[in-house]
Amino acid sequence: MIRNKHVLCAFRLIIGGLFIYAGVIKIADPLGFARDIQNYRILPPAACLFIALALPWFEALSGAFLIVGIFKRTSAWLLSFLLAGFIVLVIITMARGLDVDCGCFGSLSRKADGRLILEDAVMLFMALEVALSSPGRRIPGIPGLR
Amino acid sequence: MTKRFFEEAGLIAGLSVVLGLAFHVPLIRQFLRGGLSPGLISTETGPGIILITLAEAEDLFAGRQGVFIDARSRKDFSTGHIPAAKNFPFEEAKGKAIGEVVAGIPRGKAVVIYCSGKDCPTGLALAVLLRDQGLDEVRVFMGGWDEWIAAGLPAERGNDQE
Repeated sequence: MIRNKHVLCAFRLIIGGLFIYAGVIKIADPLGFARDIQNYRILPPAACLFIALALPWFEALSGAFLIVGIFKRTSAWLLSFLLAGFIVLVIITMARGLDVDCGCFGSLSRKADGRLILEDAVMLFMALEVALSSPGRRIPGIPGLR
Repeated sequence: MTKRFFEEAGLIAGLSVVLGLAFHVPLIRQFLRGGLSPGLISTETGPGIILITLAEAEDLFAGRQGVFIDARSRKDFSTGHIPAAKNFPFEEAKGKAIGEVVAGIPRGKAVVIYCSGKDCPTGLALAVLLRDQGLDEVRVFMGGWDEWIAAGLPAERGNDQE
């Protein structure tokens, strides 16, 4: 586990910054994001729209809290869960043979493919390092979660 | 301290939902009125149809990986269309066997259908017809001609797309 505070600070800035950017760009185009979600063909239109409205704020707020240091550990865990969820979603999408846009960064998004899984895994590593770095009691079953 | 985690997570999630709903009230109203049907298609027509953005349409065009099909009228098509696009007006598709169109599409190329813009339903409707004719994955460029031309992308005039 990385303990260097400068490295961990850099991780916070990178992950926080990326999620703020991803959130803001999707807040500006909720319908485009709703279509991206719908392309995964998992949820009905109403659920796609609801997620498209709330998830970008969730990403932006968690990213901002992570950088500012408010709810730092909780934000790092939430973003870790989110990234793990994205990885699972991309794997399922690839297994279903769907060729869809990932919807990660609005119109700048690209295909949901193996490279995206790798990028998400790197971000997941950074988010987990931040989440696990702070001292505190651990929750049984989830190391580091207080 | 698990309680603390769930309290903070709940606060962030709750704040996100409130802000998300409050920030897009007109959009929610539009959806509840059924005004989003061209963009947000039902899951019944969804499988086999991929909605794409301008950036993706541009990538397919630049890489020559897509066959563009213009679902607008012949008159609209003649005044301007995406270069090399094929014109297949939806009005004509309804009355014809569209197997010929499907047969004329080269293998390995992505099929991209567009109409005038975000509010026109014909691109999506044509995509459903082509999907039902056996095309595996039909892409619909929802921004359509309006978004394409507004972005300053290449265009050509004329009726003959061959």
